Amino acid sequence: MQQLSVIIEALPYILQGAGVSLAIVCFAMGVGLVMGIPMAVGLVYGHPVVRNLIRLYVWFFRGVPILVLMFLFYFGVFDLLGLDLNAISAVSLVLGLTSAAYQSQIFRGAIQSLPQGQLRAARALGMSDPQGVVSIILPQALRLSIPAWSNEYSIILKDSALAYVVGAMDIFTRTHFVASRTYEHLALFINAGVLYFIITLVGVKLLLALEKKVRIPGYTH
Amino acid sequence: MFRKTTLLVAAISVVLLFGSVAFAKKAYVNGIDANYPPFAYIDDTGKPAGFDVDSLNWIAGKMGFTIEHKAMEWSTIVQSVVSKKIDMVYSGMSITEERAKQVNFSDPYWKVAQVIVSKKGADLTLDKVFKGGMKLGVQSGTSEADLLQNQAGKEGNNYELKYYDSAPLAIMDILNGRVPAAAMDIAPADDAIAHGKALEIVGEFTEPEFFGVAVRKEDKELLDTINKGLKMLMADPYWAELKEKHFKDGAH
Repeated sequence: MQQLSVIIEALPYILQGAGVSLAIVCFAMGVGLVMGIPMAVGLVYGHPVVRNLIRLYVWFFRGVPILVLMFLFYFGVFDLLGLDLNAISAVSLVLGLTSAAYQSQIFRGAIQSLPQGQLRAARALGMSDPQGVVSIILPQALRLSIPAWSNEYSIILKDSALAYVVGAMDIFTRTHFVASRTYEHLALFINAGVLYFIITLVGVKLLLALEKKVRIPGYTH
Repeated sequence: MFRKTTLLVAAISVVLLFGSVAFAKKAYVNGIDANYPPFAYIDDTGKPAGFDVDSLNWIAGKMGFTIEHKAMEWSTIVQSVVSKKIDMVYSGMSITEERAKQVNFSDPYWKVAQVIVSKKGADLTLDKVFKGGMKLGVQSGTSEADLLQNQAGKEGNNYELKYYDSAPLAIMDILNGRVPAAAMDIAPADDAIAHGKALEIVGEFTEPEFFGVAVRKEDKELLDTINKGLKMLMADPYWAELKEKHFKDGAH
């Protein structure tokens, strides 16, 4: 079992790449969350100008392949901005900006699925609009978003393998290096696939647990 | 008075000279194609290794700078030098006119044959490969890819290029039967054969190329340092030792 011994020998090295992949995903999800929520609020309640600007952003990041974005940002935009980003931060940021576009749509959908009367009720109780959005709308919308959000997690994780093209040392880049040295491509690619699968599974299960944990008993809208 | 000034100047220059050596050792980053054994690869402890990596480490020690080897995507590596993501490419890079427009090259340090590789016993000839309407594998962004693109369709040539990210991947596709042959430097081909892969070398399809170290056009000083270092290395017994270590069958 030459293949098995190659994998066992290379596993510590490749698992460091799992750390890199996870870091990329966490950062990207975080950026997407922090940008996505205000964007969603802007899309639903914002001034038409704001709404159109956000739509433009979403169109751009949904319309251009991530691979193209990576080359565009890593070899162009970041340099023009004078940002000296290493491959990992560049990939994280590109995935984060892209994810913001998708996450804004997730949250927008969740906000719009709520009965519109709620915000009027909040006003009647003397709340300002921002207050109503923050303490009435978002707590419900974010809970509703978790299933779609875990979908987004698994998509970003798999997109993070594109880090390979700019040489960030993630699972796949490392796998390729080991394969070039040992010529055990098939076994190593299977191993990489299994690693991605495990990370996806664990993440999705964790998010499912979160969904159950924050569920409000007896609440349906 | 004159003596005092001279002394002062001498003292300052000693401090500066000494300071620049002892306190501000220059640090450079070298970009490598870590999918290019035995010149550069990642060893079983996860560290960059290979003939070029060892060579540059030796030169760095002699010339007094520190060096970090960074695995990079090959097809965009020249761009990475120009945009200052790395300072040099000392990693089996063929000196070509096209690349020399963007970067400066050191003196050549290695001559490498350009070969066509096929499955063992495939009974191919260069003529069949180039004129028989076959698919031909090649690593994208390499000098051989450039050449074959330019030659396609000329002088009775009839082949279809299929691009790979690394020479080992092209070799795997030959073994899988997806392409009958691939063009590459002889080094990775020999390396795969040393690993027991059933391949054979059909023949050399063009003039041999020379490997040199690529640096930014404006980094004249670094180029000078590298050239001096290369000269020292190739005159040192360590050069033969390195060749023995990396080009013996299955050495890594």
